[in-house]
Amino acid sequence: MSLPVPDIDDVNRLYFEGTASGELRIRHCKRCESLFRFAHAWCPDCWSQDLDYKLASGRGKVETFTVVHQAPYESFEDRIPYVIALVELEEGVRMMSNIVDCEPDRVEIGLPVKVAYEQRGPVMLPMFTPDV
Amino acid sequence: MSNHVTIAGAYEIPPRRYREHSSIDLFRMILGGALAEWQISPADIDGVITTTGGDITGHDTYIHGRLISELGINASIAETMNLGGGSHQAMVNRAAMAIHEGRANAVICVSAGKMMRPGLGAADAMVRAICDYNLEGPYGPWIAALYGLVATRFMHEKNVTAEDLARVAVSARKWALLNPEARQHEAGPLTIEDVLESRMVVTPFHYLDCSLPSDGGGVVLVTRADLGREWAARPAFVKGYGEYHPRGTVSDPGSLIETGAVISGRKAFAEAGLTPADIDVAQLYDAFSSTPLLLLENLGFCEPGKAAGFVNSGAIDPGGSLPVNTYGGLMSFGHTGESSGMSLLVQGAKQALGTAGPTQVENAGNVLIHAYGGIMFYHTTMILGDEP
Repeated sequence: MSLPVPDIDDVNRLYFEGTASGELRIRHCKRCESLFRFAHAWCPDCWSQDLDYKLASGRGKVETFTVVHQAPYESFEDRIPYVIALVELEEGVRMMSNIVDCEPDRVEIGLPVKVAYEQRGPVMLPMFTPDV
Repeated sequence: MSNHVTIAGAYEIPPRRYREHSSIDLFRMILGGALAEWQISPADIDGVITTTGGDITGHDTYIHGRLISELGINASIAETMNLGGGSHQAMVNRAAMAIHEGRANAVICVSAGKMMRPGLGAADAMVRAICDYNLEGPYGPWIAALYGLVATRFMHEKNVTAEDLARVAVSARKWALLNPEARQHEAGPLTIEDVLESRMVVTPFHYLDCSLPSDGGGVVLVTRADLGREWAARPAFVKGYGEYHPRGTVSDPGSLIETGAVISGRKAFAEAGLTPADIDVAQLYDAFSSTPLLLLENLGFCEPGKAAGFVNSGAIDPGGSLPVNTYGGLMSFGHTGESSGMSLLVQGAKQALGTAGPTQVENAGNVLIHAYGGIMFYHTTMILGDEP
């Protein structure tokens, strides 16, 4: 298995079209103003299907993290140790990512981070680096 | 709910690496062992509920039909259920509701599991099963890492240390040394230093903070109370049940450490008319050493921030005030994949039945079992008692 590449589908297409041009988009409900990840075909707060998106600032902080020393499968062997984090974006939305270009020891809860991108197959993946 | 429903029998094969045995082989070993012990016949049973057959690379969701056929019974209820590690108590609840409503009399709830190694071709299936493949999968999560995210946050908020986590693994080993069926029965005692010196898997978990991948499974017999009294010397009464599913991925909003156990536990206590102080034994799902600490707080056994001190005092050890994971836990007994929650259920039921042998806790009147599926997502709490 090579490094996993997301499947582009109807729910996430606008998200990955955004990352391809350096935009980090978050789903916005036009009815109740909720913001959420591109993981829902409707607003999870009011079920409206009248959605658009907002541009995130790309800044946030580490809400929690783990340093992976044992790779789940071969394709991640080259990357260990790598950091998986849940990042809380300034807009209040939580997302999973990797913290890159940073010694794992430096990562802590509350660390300010900003988005960076990694090419993965045909997709640009949002990653985060310390925002210093 | 269920002053009228009992668990009349509980049986489990010892967790091992049954590499030469398929999933259906394990189901037959489990049922064969139980039927030899229970002395019941096909006419006595009118329900079969099972977790999935197969394994993570291909689950069989029609296994209940195959088992009905092999057992030669005519069932009023039959179903394959999947809530991951939370399945087993949900199975008992399904059976108990049917019995309570007069739709069934005696139901076999069975589960077998094989824990695959992620590297053995199961990686892609596992990523798809445990997380959002598109928005989480690309970042290299696996089960231990997803738990690591929850544990790091828990330790941060509650001032819990690596030593505190290790102490949970130490307690599980103390129980395993009493239980000949546990995989680590002969592994000798464990110290906090042993845990901290074992290799780091994902922070904050060392190798010995993790449960032990195994194959195995078990079965319980859920019955009308009058049948329970006939078939068991001291049947285990189903006193309360709670279930709650607040999220499906760690990326969903909401607290990572105030889990669905808070509400499933509250529901179970309310139904049983009991409080945490009434519980004599607790089986708390321990996929990793952090989770019993978190569950002790979420279920109300400890005030917020007090679980580590409670565990360090020896309270959950043999002879402690609240024996926890009395069979060795998933950490030292073995984690049997799809059947992991069945170990907690069988071993909890055995405590209430008074058949737990060398690990039997004296006066185990009320037993609480808490399990969940996913990364602390699909929560089920059940309270069993030695009287209605």
